[in-house]
Amino acid sequence: MVFDIFFLQQVINGLSIGCVYALMAIGFTLIFGVLNVVNFAHGEVYTVGAFVGLMVITAFAPPLLAVVPLVLAAGALAGVGLERIAFRPFRRFNDEASQKSRAMREATLLSSLAVSIVTREVMMHLFGGDMQGIPAGYLLQRPVAIGPVMVASGSLVIFATSAVMLGALQFLLYRTQTGLGIRAVSNNQLGARYVGIDTDRTIVTTFAVGSMLGATAGILVGLYDGAISPHMGFAPGVKAFVAMVMGGLSSIPGAVACALLLGVSESIATEFLSSGWKDLITYSLLVVTLVFFPQGLFGHGRERA
Amino acid sequence: MDVNVPDARPMPDTGALPAAAWRGRQHGWTLLLLAVAFGAVPAAIAATGSSYLAQIAITAMIFVILSASLNHVTGTAGLLSIGHAAFYGIGAYAAALLSTKLGLPFIVTLPAAGLIAALFGLLVALPTMRLVSIYFAVATLGIGEMIYVILLNWVDLTRGPMGIRGIPPVELFGWQADTLLSRYLVVAAIAVASLWVLHRLTHSYYGNALRALREDDQCADSMGVDVVRLKIESFVVATFFAGIAGALLAHTSAYIAPDNFRFMESILILAMVVVGGLGSLPGAVVGALFMIVLPEALRGIGDYRMIAVGVTMFLSILLLPKGMLTEGVALGFVRRAFARGWANVAGGKPVGWK
Repeated sequence: MVFDIFFLQQVINGLSIGCVYALMAIGFTLIFGVLNVVNFAHGEVYTVGAFVGLMVITAFAPPLLAVVPLVLAAGALAGVGLERIAFRPFRRFNDEASQKSRAMREATLLSSLAVSIVTREVMMHLFGGDMQGIPAGYLLQRPVAIGPVMVASGSLVIFATSAVMLGALQFLLYRTQTGLGIRAVSNNQLGARYVGIDTDRTIVTTFAVGSMLGATAGILVGLYDGAISPHMGFAPGVKAFVAMVMGGLSSIPGAVACALLLGVSESIATEFLSSGWKDLITYSLLVVTLVFFPQGLFGHGRERA
Repeated sequence: MDVNVPDARPMPDTGALPAAAWRGRQHGWTLLLLAVAFGAVPAAIAATGSSYLAQIAITAMIFVILSASLNHVTGTAGLLSIGHAAFYGIGAYAAALLSTKLGLPFIVTLPAAGLIAALFGLLVALPTMRLVSIYFAVATLGIGEMIYVILLNWVDLTRGPMGIRGIPPVELFGWQADTLLSRYLVVAAIAVASLWVLHRLTHSYYGNALRALREDDQCADSMGVDVVRLKIESFVVATFFAGIAGALLAHTSAYIAPDNFRFMESILILAMVVVGGLGSLPGAVVGALFMIVLPEALRGIGDYRMIAVGVTMFLSILLLPKGMLTEGVALGFVRRAFARGWANVAGGKPVGWK
C-alpha cells in the first residue's frame, strides 16, 4: 500500500499543489509580518497573475520563459497598487496604540476584501465568468517518467520555480539591505522607524515581493490545469491563509512546511474520500492545530494582540 | 448647633422603577422602529403590490437579525467571527429538514433551528475560546468552510448542491402566511423581537461586562468578570439568532442551497456590522438595511452593481471608519434615556452610567 505507485504519484501531485500554496502563503506571511493585518486580496493577485499570463500568451505568443518576467512585473505592480489603494489610507496613524488597535485591523481587513470584490468583478466583466482555456502549446501536462512514476511536467516546473523563488527570497531577506529592512519592520515597526528605516517604502517593497510570488503561483496553476477563471483565486487564497496560520503567522519556514503538508494531505485524501471532501481535511487540520497549538506549529508566540 | 440639612427627600423605591417616568423617552426610538417595520413598509408593499419589494423587505429583515447577532459577538464582545453564515446555514438546514422530513410545524422548527445552531455554536466555542484575535477569526473561518463542505457533500441528508426545495411556508396555528405581505410581517415581528432581546442584553450591566472583555480581557478578568464564560455565552447567543434567521430564510424562500451560506455571505454580514458601526446595535440595523437596499437600488446600472457595492464598502470604511451610527452615539441614546429615568428616582443623581 505504502509503496503503491499511484500513492507515490499522489504524494508528488500533492507536493506540487503544496508548492503553489507555499508561494501564496509566503506572500501572506510577509505582509502579515510587516503590517500585522491580513491581506484578503491576495487571492486576486493570484488571479491577476494568471490572467496577465494568458493575455501575454494570446497577444504575443512568446516563449514560455519570457512570460515569467512579465507576470512577475504584473504581480509587483498589482501589489504596489493594492498597498496604495487598500492599505496606505488606513495607516494614517503611526503610534503604537493605533497600530495594534482592533478597529484599524478590521478596517484594513475589510478594505482589502472590498478591493478584492471589485477586482474580481472587474475581471468578470473583462474576461467573462467562464473558464478560459490556455493555448495548448503552453500547457505543462506532458507526462514525464521518473523511474516507475509518471509525473506531469507541470509538477516539475512548479517544483523548480518554487525552489528558485524560495532561494531568491532567502537571499533577499538575509543577504540584502532591503531584506534587513523588511525583517526589521516585521520585528518592530516603530523601532525600525526610529533607527531610520523608511517603513513606508519597506512595506511597499514587501507587497511587491509577496505579490510577485502570488502572481507566479497563479500562472503556474493556469498552465498546469489548462484553464483559468476570475474565481480561481478564492480556494488557494484561503488554503494559503490556513497554511500561514498553521505555520504560526510570522514564520516563513512554518508557512512553507504547512503549505506542503496541506497539499500532500489533500491529494492523499482524494484516494480515500471523494474529492468533494478534501477541503474538510484542510480545515480539520487547521482547527486541530489551533486547538492544540494555539500559536501555530512553528510560531514563537507573537505578541498578544 | 443646627446643621444646614438639605431638605430630606423620600428614599427612592429602588425595588421598582416608576415605569412611566423613563419609558416615554426611551421608547421614542422603539416606536419609530415599530412604525417603520409594521407601518410604512407593509403599507408600501400593499400599495405597490410588488413582490419584488416584499422580497427585498424580507431579505433585509433576515439580514437585520444576522448583523445584529454578529454585532453582539464581534462588536460588543470583540470576538472577530468570519464564519457567521455557517450558523445561518445550520439554522436554515435544520428548519428545512425538520419541516420537510418530519413535517414539524413552523412554531417548532423556528426555535429548534435556533437551538441547533446554538448547540453547534457551543461546540465550536468550547475549544476555540482560548484563541485570541486573528487566531479566533481564522478558526471561525475554517469551521464555517467545514460546515459549508459538509452541507455540500453530505448528499444523503442535505441533497448536496441541489439544495432543498418545497420547504413549507410559515404557518401559525392554522393561519397560513401564504402572501408575501404576511410573510414579511412574520419575519419583521421576529426580527423586532430579536432586536429587543439583543438590546436588553447589550444595554445592561451584562453588556458592559462584554464591552470590558472586548477592551481588555485580562483586565476584565482581574476585575472578576468571568471572561471565558461570557465569551462562550455571547457566541452561543449570536449563533442562536443566526439559526433563527436561517429558519426564516428557509420558510420564506422555500428553497435553500449550500451556496447561500458561503464565506462571502459571512463577509457581507461582517461588512454590515462594520459599515453600521462596530458595537452599535442601531448601527447594525442601519448597516444591514444599507447593504441590502443599496445593491437593489443600483440594479439600474445592471452588471456593474457588485463593483458599486465593493466601492461603496471601501469608501464607507475609508470615510466613516467608526461606521454610520457609531457605538458612542448609539450608547449615548440609551445612556440619556436611562440616566434621566433613574435621575427621577434617585434624587438627581444618575445611577449606572455617569
